[in-house]
Amino acid sequence: MDFLAEGLRRAWTLLVAGDSEVYGIALLTLKVAVVATFISCTAGLPLGYFLATRAFWGRRAALTVVNTALAFPTVVVGLLLYGLLSRRGPLGGLGWLYTWQAIVIGDVLLALPIAAALSAAAVQGVDPRVRRTAETLGASPWRAAWTVAREARFALAAVITAAFGQVVAEIGAAMIVGGNIRGQTRTLTTAVALYTAQGDFGLALALGLVLLLLALVVNIALQVLQGRGNA
Amino acid sequence: MLELRAVRHRYEGRVVLDLEQFTLPRTGSVAVVGHNGAGKSTLLRLLALLEAPTEGRIVFDGTAVPRRAPASLRRRVTLVEQRPILFRGTVRENLEYGLRLRDVGRAAINGIIGDAVDRLGLAPLLDRRRHELSDGEVQRVAVARALVLRTDVLLLDEPASSADRAAAGALYRTLAAERAARPFAVCIASHQLEDAYRWADDIRSLADGRLSPVTPENLFRVDLPPGDGVKHVPVGSIAIVVMTDRSGPAVLAVPPTDIFVSREPLPSSARNVLRGRVTGLAIEHRGAGVLVRADLGGVELIAAVTAEAARDLALTPGGAVVFSFKASAVQVF
Repeated sequence: MDFLAEGLRRAWTLLVAGDSEVYGIALLTLKVAVVATFISCTAGLPLGYFLATRAFWGRRAALTVVNTALAFPTVVVGLLLYGLLSRRGPLGGLGWLYTWQAIVIGDVLLALPIAAALSAAAVQGVDPRVRRTAETLGASPWRAAWTVAREARFALAAVITAAFGQVVAEIGAAMIVGGNIRGQTRTLTTAVALYTAQGDFGLALALGLVLLLLALVVNIALQVLQGRGNA
Repeated sequence: MLELRAVRHRYEGRVVLDLEQFTLPRTGSVAVVGHNGAGKSTLLRLLALLEAPTEGRIVFDGTAVPRRAPASLRRRVTLVEQRPILFRGTVRENLEYGLRLRDVGRAAINGIIGDAVDRLGLAPLLDRRRHELSDGEVQRVAVARALVLRTDVLLLDEPASSADRAAAGALYRTLAAERAARPFAVCIASHQLEDAYRWADDIRSLADGRLSPVTPENLFRVDLPPGDGVKHVPVGSIAIVVMTDRSGPAVLAVPPTDIFVSREPLPSSARNVLRGRVTGLAIEHRGAGVLVRADLGGVELIAAVTAEAARDLALTPGGAVVFSFKASAVQVF
């Protein structure tokens, strides 16, 4: 128990003192998570809407693929991406291996199916008459989609939260394609794993608490936005 | 003005609409009657330019409508669906929706909504949300939401289905008043004979996706004699026995399914036994039913029978036939 209490004390000291390493890692994690969530939702939400509302050949197969991708192991995504980005890989020329951009790509690959599958489910939950009615009143396809999205906005906000949660807590791909380089690609999750292995439990705990705090702040922010939208 | 030409529309390979020609005149009011599944809603969706027909074309003001109708054309038509839905937000926001799409300015929107609210008596509902409204109120708001757009064509799918009779009457009075102030084309799909008869200049019947050459309902404008109970009402050269307490101008309807068809008069309780000749046979319900049209002493009536019955009776055009129906089967509107 002493060991746990000691860890918490050290974590508290690091956080209060504004330890540059802790905050540097937290900032990088936030940057990666925000960029990856933005990209995956910008692509995933329209994709989900499309899958939910359009009848086309292979739609069911596409939905199956997206739903299967939900359970894709993060280390496998990291491994495949490593193969693509490594010097001998087809995208090796980009020189992105062991950069924060590589972590973003890995996170997008993992969060995109979440955004697409959950937003498809959210849109399917909206009464189909909403889209039809928007069209009868003269809405363009985009405007009709926006009207449907407004009806499903609580569910869609939950989709964004889920995508962010996936991205911020991801470790497998970040470790493999990021390389956990201090000051460059060390994210909260990879740092926690590293410091725990090194026996620096206090630092690991401090970073774990920051991770929790980050998730909490983002969730509260989304809830506030939802509340405003409902007014 | 709005026309369907040689339209054949399929859903999953099945033909649901097959119309050589369907025209909605510029200021006409057309009622499309038919059973559920006859193709009425599909017809309205095509007329609303929301779908392109699988075959054939839609012509609007003499110009063929492209397969993806541009918003400028679509915004000249609007459709109120059967069981309409309101969007999230207040009734006012719902009324504003289509106007905003048309880039109408704030001041103009306020003017149009204010005007419509006064005319349609919606003021008490304006700040309510959809879950605070009854089905009938939702229907009224949906119709108002369409009317404020001042489109050239208004399409209504079973507009009185979720309203009681009084509310339905109010709805049709509103429509009549709006059309008196600003003529526009209306097409109403309804399975309610009364609606069709009262509010439309032209009634067209749809069966199995095709225009039926006859309206299946047998309608007669009559002058009911005073008194209660059983009345012999002159209809052309014959008299129809009716049970009603009403008097004065009315419409009689003899439901085709309530008519017994035979070759000879049969002893029965039917007060109306009319002899005549078959003038036409139309196959319906994919061959399972037959509409028998007969001239009964100068008045034409239509009876619906099964194909099996038509075969057993060996009905042929020109052949003798007897139509029987009870006085109580005759509906009075």
